Amino acid sequence: MTAVPFQKRALLRRLHGGDALQTAALIVLVLVVLVAVLAPWIAPYDPNGLDLSAALGGASGDHLLGTDESGRDVLSRLVYGARSGLLGPLVVVAVSTALGALVGVAAAWCGGLVDAVLSRAMDLVFALPGLLLAIVLVAVFGPGLTAPTVAMSIAYVPYVGRLVRNVAVQETTRPYIQSYRVQGWSGWTICLRHLVPNIAPLVLAQSAMNFGYALMDLAALSFLGFGVQPPAADWGAMINNGANALLQGAALPALAPGAAIVVAVVAFGIVGEGVADRVAKREA
Amino acid sequence: MRTSRSLAALALVALVAAACGGSPRPVGSGAFQISKDTPPAKGPVDSVTWSLYGEPQSLDYAYAFDYPPNTVLANVCEQLQRITPDLKMQPGLAVASSAPDAKRWVYTIRPGVRFHDGTTLTADDVVASLQRHLDPKIGSYWISAFTNVASVEKTGPMQVTVHLKKPDQLFNEEMGTSAGTVESAATLNRAGRSYGTPDGGVNCTGPYTLDKWQKGQSITLKRFDGYWDASLKPKAATVRNVFIQDPSTRVNSMLSGEVDGGYLIPMSGFAKLRNAPNGKLYFGPNTTAVSLIPTNLKGTLGDVRVRKALSMALDRPGIIKAAAGGVATPAKAPGATGAWGIAPEAAKGYYAKLPEPAHDVAGAKQLVQQAGATGKKLVMTTSTVAPEIGVIANAVQAAARSIGLNVELRSVAPDAYSALFSDPKARSGVDLMMTTWYDSTPDPLEFYGILQTGNFSNYGGYSNPAYDKLVDQANTQPNPAARAAVVARLQQIAVDEMVWIPLYEVPHSLFLNRKVTGAPTGITQLMYPWAAMLGSAG
Repeated sequence: MTAVPFQKRALLRRLHGGDALQTAALIVLVLVVLVAVLAPWIAPYDPNGLDLSAALGGASGDHLLGTDESGRDVLSRLVYGARSGLLGPLVVVAVSTALGALVGVAAAWCGGLVDAVLSRAMDLVFALPGLLLAIVLVAVFGPGLTAPTVAMSIAYVPYVGRLVRNVAVQETTRPYIQSYRVQGWSGWTICLRHLVPNIAPLVLAQSAMNFGYALMDLAALSFLGFGVQPPAADWGAMINNGANALLQGAALPALAPGAAIVVAVVAFGIVGEGVADRVAKREA
Repeated sequence: MRTSRSLAALALVALVAAACGGSPRPVGSGAFQISKDTPPAKGPVDSVTWSLYGEPQSLDYAYAFDYPPNTVLANVCEQLQRITPDLKMQPGLAVASSAPDAKRWVYTIRPGVRFHDGTTLTADDVVASLQRHLDPKIGSYWISAFTNVASVEKTGPMQVTVHLKKPDQLFNEEMGTSAGTVESAATLNRAGRSYGTPDGGVNCTGPYTLDKWQKGQSITLKRFDGYWDASLKPKAATVRNVFIQDPSTRVNSMLSGEVDGGYLIPMSGFAKLRNAPNGKLYFGPNTTAVSLIPTNLKGTLGDVRVRKALSMALDRPGIIKAAAGGVATPAKAPGATGAWGIAPEAAKGYYAKLPEPAHDVAGAKQLVQQAGATGKKLVMTTSTVAPEIGVIANAVQAAARSIGLNVELRSVAPDAYSALFSDPKARSGVDLMMTTWYDSTPDPLEFYGILQTGNFSNYGGYSNPAYDKLVDQANTQPNPAARAAVVARLQQIAVDEMVWIPLYEVPHSLFLNRKVTGAPTGITQLMYPWAAMLGSAG
């Protein structure tokens, strides 16, 4: 049993051509990260600077992507939006990968009752929709980036945990693990020094793809008003605000953040898939 | 991950829209004309599909305090008085009303009126209906209308007397709103807590009966053949009110012909609906002003200098352009000029004396400094329930920042935004909220009366003994002109003390496709059976 995103591997493989595409995707990701880090220096305007008289202005020399319903520069908000767009998924992936790896390795190594309990617990979390969990946490702790990030961190644990558990179970049957055991190494040492490093590339590939999915989920929550709060720039919230402007013929306020999400998610997917392919080739 | 896919799909839709949508257009929609009515209907029509921006939380008249429930109930339930589309008072279910003295209103009940279940209207029904507002267990949203009521008594088979603690002229006019709605006493007893819900329903006397309430989808009304008023005999056999929360979807459903019409058109749809080949966009008379309500006068906004400063920092023309598509006029007072139906000409003079809202950022900054409020934090609510709320919230935040105040925006769900106006707990920790406030009667005392100490809708807790005394004084004046003169003094105080911060006044809006016509264009559709006038256009 592998996590859901891995089931799309074959499809993704058909969609991209190989190394060139992966390189392009990697460049896109580097650019997105740079934009997020350098936002205060490269954004042409204050992302929250209002000019009501210029609301929904089209693309121009002054505003390359036009202005939104409050006359704010869409490009500047897009640039600043990359920060929350990347920070949330980064936390989600870091936490879910750490917890998932811990749970997966523990289940595989201990086996028996521990494996059964941890596996069922992961099934339970897996069955719980992440967005629903996020909405519950938002209701308790209030909207913002924190509650959805915590919820998604929990929701993504089974994606990593189940993968790690399955790979680790296979790994523990390999001769090198048995040799270390015969030599009297402790379980902790074997796991930390040998087992985890051996399955790390696969986990990394999964995490890269999880990053894209987490980005979309958090953007969806912002779109629904549960995530990053106004006036902070956020891609999901920008799509929501811009949706009404579509009727008025102004597409860029919704289009630009929508396109940014699509590009970032696809890039993460391609990079993650590339890593997975390399791991698969190495193992073959 | 279904929602994730939806988001991606939305983004792709946006991409396609960009490819097909052409270049952006200016926001301002320019001048607008007020139409008092639409062409009269020429014949019957089988069914009409109408859009509502939200689902009513209840159809219990005691909680009908917002556009969706009132739009539906206006056709189903009736009041003792009737407020006509031209903002005039007419006899409703009370064929006559009189005040034998200053502390009594006596209502003679119209004979021969039947409820939807076929039973006949009596004084007992009126007493039971009015007394519900006085019951704390009910928690009526219309309790303000009954503040001065001591008791409601049946004084004859078809006569009801309302005893007052002190004179209350406005009470008689409020009997034309949901406060004066009459429901069958037997139904109220039988339904109990389920009254006004999809299970309990309602049983009133209006031209339409509540036929079906599909939770989350629609409320269907059916023509009541036993309706008493021949002049308002419905032309449409059924009216299906569908709930369409998303503004873009609502406008597109009108453009596509999926719905036949609707009130309260989203500003973002004005341009497209004005040029719609399949219908016409109307702007009608209104009693509505958009204002900011300081909801905590014990906090930073308790200092009138801070409230004035915030008002002075606002760019009203810019807000009107961005939030109302240019279809609005700057407001000098929180009570709309259209709400002075009892003295419209005199109202112009009173209004002219009010100061024009100034835009003076430097002066505002100075006021904030004088008040020692520089750097203080204010919490303002915002919501996606209507696009203009977000635009105004952004504008207020930016204006506040420019004068040294820190406004934190708190986003709430659409239902929670409605609760701000009925539940004090929902306003906890909130300093400021935006409202689109309409009056239901032709009397400006309705609005200025709510700023009296302890009033249900006095959200900020404003208290001024001189003001309270003037409200009481206005309520003793049976002569409309004399009452209006007192209300003008209330208006002056409310503006001087900036109890609410007025932003702009908007016309009421209505879209009708070419198949139907006859609906009134103005805000009184919330009290008047608008659907009964709706029929075939040709």
